[in-house]
Amino acid sequence: MKKTLAIVLAIVMSASLAACGGAPPAAPADDTPNVEAAPIAEAPQAEVVEEGGTITVWCWDPAFNLYSMEEAAKVYKQINPNFEIDIVETPWDMIQTRITTAATANQLDTLPDIFLCQDNAFQKNVINYPEVFTDLTDSGINFNDFAPAKVEYSVINGRNFGVPFDNGTVINCLRTDVLEEAGYTIADFTDITWDTFIEQGKDILTKTGKPLSSTIAREPDLLMIMLQSTGASLFNTDGSVNIVNNDELKAVLTTLMELTTSGVNIEVNNWDEYITSFVNGSVAGTINGCWILGSVQTAQDQSGLWAVTNIPKLNTPGATNYSNNGGSSWAVSSSSQNKDLAIDFLANTFAGSVPFYETILPSAGALATYLPAGNSSVYEQPQEFFKGQKIFSDITAFAGRTPSNITGAYYYEARDAVGVAMNQIIGGADMETALKEAEDTVIFAMN
Amino acid sequence: MKKTMKNLKSFLRYVFLITVSFFSVFPLYWMAISATNKNVDVIRGTLMPGTYLVENFKTLIDQQNLGGALVNSFRNSIVLTVISLLICSLAGYGFEIYHSKAKDRFMGVLLLAMMIPFAAIMIPLFTMFANMKLLNTTIGFILPTIATPFLIMLFRQSARSFPRDIIEAARIDGLNELQIFFRMFIPTMKSTYAAAMTITFMAAWNNFLWPRIIMLSNDAVTMPMLVSNIIQGYVTDNGMLMLAVLITTIPTVIIFFILQKNFAEGITGAVK
Repeated sequence: MKKTLAIVLAIVMSASLAACGGAPPAAPADDTPNVEAAPIAEAPQAEVVEEGGTITVWCWDPAFNLYSMEEAAKVYKQINPNFEIDIVETPWDMIQTRITTAATANQLDTLPDIFLCQDNAFQKNVINYPEVFTDLTDSGINFNDFAPAKVEYSVINGRNFGVPFDNGTVINCLRTDVLEEAGYTIADFTDITWDTFIEQGKDILTKTGKPLSSTIAREPDLLMIMLQSTGASLFNTDGSVNIVNNDELKAVLTTLMELTTSGVNIEVNNWDEYITSFVNGSVAGTINGCWILGSVQTAQDQSGLWAVTNIPKLNTPGATNYSNNGGSSWAVSSSSQNKDLAIDFLANTFAGSVPFYETILPSAGALATYLPAGNSSVYEQPQEFFKGQKIFSDITAFAGRTPSNITGAYYYEARDAVGVAMNQIIGGADMETALKEAEDTVIFAMN
Repeated sequence: MKKTMKNLKSFLRYVFLITVSFFSVFPLYWMAISATNKNVDVIRGTLMPGTYLVENFKTLIDQQNLGGALVNSFRNSIVLTVISLLICSLAGYGFEIYHSKAKDRFMGVLLLAMMIPFAAIMIPLFTMFANMKLLNTTIGFILPTIATPFLIMLFRQSARSFPRDIIEAARIDGLNELQIFFRMFIPTMKSTYAAAMTITFMAAWNNFLWPRIIMLSNDAVTMPMLVSNIIQGYVTDNGMLMLAVLITTIPTVIIFFILQKNFAEGITGAVK
């Protein structure tokens, strides 16, 4: 009796386990695509590729990256009707965890064919896990069609590993009504230096009571933006740390101090407060990557009051009015079973189709760094929210003039260390000492 | 004089309690209010209920696989809770009722295992599961936490208070050992089971790290993963986000309220 019961129990349990173990096998791709419905593409350079197959893609943000990927798939299906795509919504930190897990556990086949990678983390991942990435240098993709500074993020030892996509070009968004109240126009804030910005900012603060910008306390975003605009990085080309002897960095820190102490820039506690500060109109503008436009346009009641211009520059040699913050690029994983198809897909869409960029721009505001698209008439459309300004062609022009930045494998460590130093300096610490400490921290992390 | 002192004391007590409950309840209130408001109003910090609930819901089901995530979360959590309760209670019962020195030592080893953080065994587990083709499956989700030292300990502790006389009497009446467990132990230990069920269900429902590693397909996404997907975009729709958080919170709240009374009893000991 005892035995029978034990056996019955064991059977019931293993059956219940087996029942749930069989759960969702990835939906089989429809292998009978509708060939007739797909007209052969207009895209001139594209030849008809017979090779079919399903490409799996990991990326985040349904309104932006996922949408763009879906549109790209539609464009590519006209060239290659046998093509299927499976887009899996995966947040960036999840992609990072999975790259690390797959590489460390030697399970590369768990990775998709294509994944999106944050630009700032691109070099780090290629350096740490070279086996994950496919070298795209000789794949036929023309990297000269992209903004050079953007391409640099995914170049390691002169080899290209990523197809640039999402644009992080920095813009200075300002409320023209507040400027006018104090007797200024957007032209007074175009092609200026930080000294002029602070001087005019003080005047506006006295007349209207509104600071010109807000930043998140302890976050070195603006610092990194300003540093890149000078053409300098936290690393030298040979990968060594460049903090203590970095004159541009010191100039940036001095300017940041002045910005904050003069009240022209206010510090807020977190991201939500940062967004609230300009949506509520408690500050007259914001400086950030152009992806901030989506949040700026949250407040529809401010339509027609905003304008976009370039950022102020520092007084260091080689400094510019252009910079970059954030953005991401597509990578093809080395374990992909359909590597050629994945590359051909990217080459004919993200790296080769102006009509594709014309589709995603108006509907998703998906601004790219593909330079040929910048001349398209869609990019020339005046934007009502910005008083009829053609912001998209302006931003694409900014992107082409942005100096590149060396990120290396320890970008985030260096960024954090400099952020700590920035706080100490704003809090009254000696700059040399704080920077020495930051450099030591990064060197420690590297060894 | 004495009365005024007493009144003052209870007044201060109330002020303290009201303040504390305000801080505990406010985030929940704010979550519910935000779920009914437009993104821009949430950013501007409105505290009044809005009329945007339906739109937020539409955006949510439009952008995210809400139904699929709910089904997955419920299936994973329920299967894990049922199997885990059965295994752990049998183990706890066994450790206590048939205990010997060797078993006690083994229990000590099990308890030591509680100290190993999950992050430390994550990569080897992932390798194992990938090799066994268990990625994207419920069984892959439940296996690592199917028997936890904590639950075994909880059941072992409560088995300690289970009267041996009952076992003796049942044996004399002709029940075998498994029958004693199913017919005598389980009905007596209802509140321990309720407590264990609450803990296991909540842990399974809120589990994020493990599913995030093994659930690679769109069809296998769970509720916490869905919420984390929403905050990844350049522009976060806070109204929709709060609605998703609200939906994710409801099942655990319901389970907790239903089993609340038993929960406290079960943790402190089932047999009075």
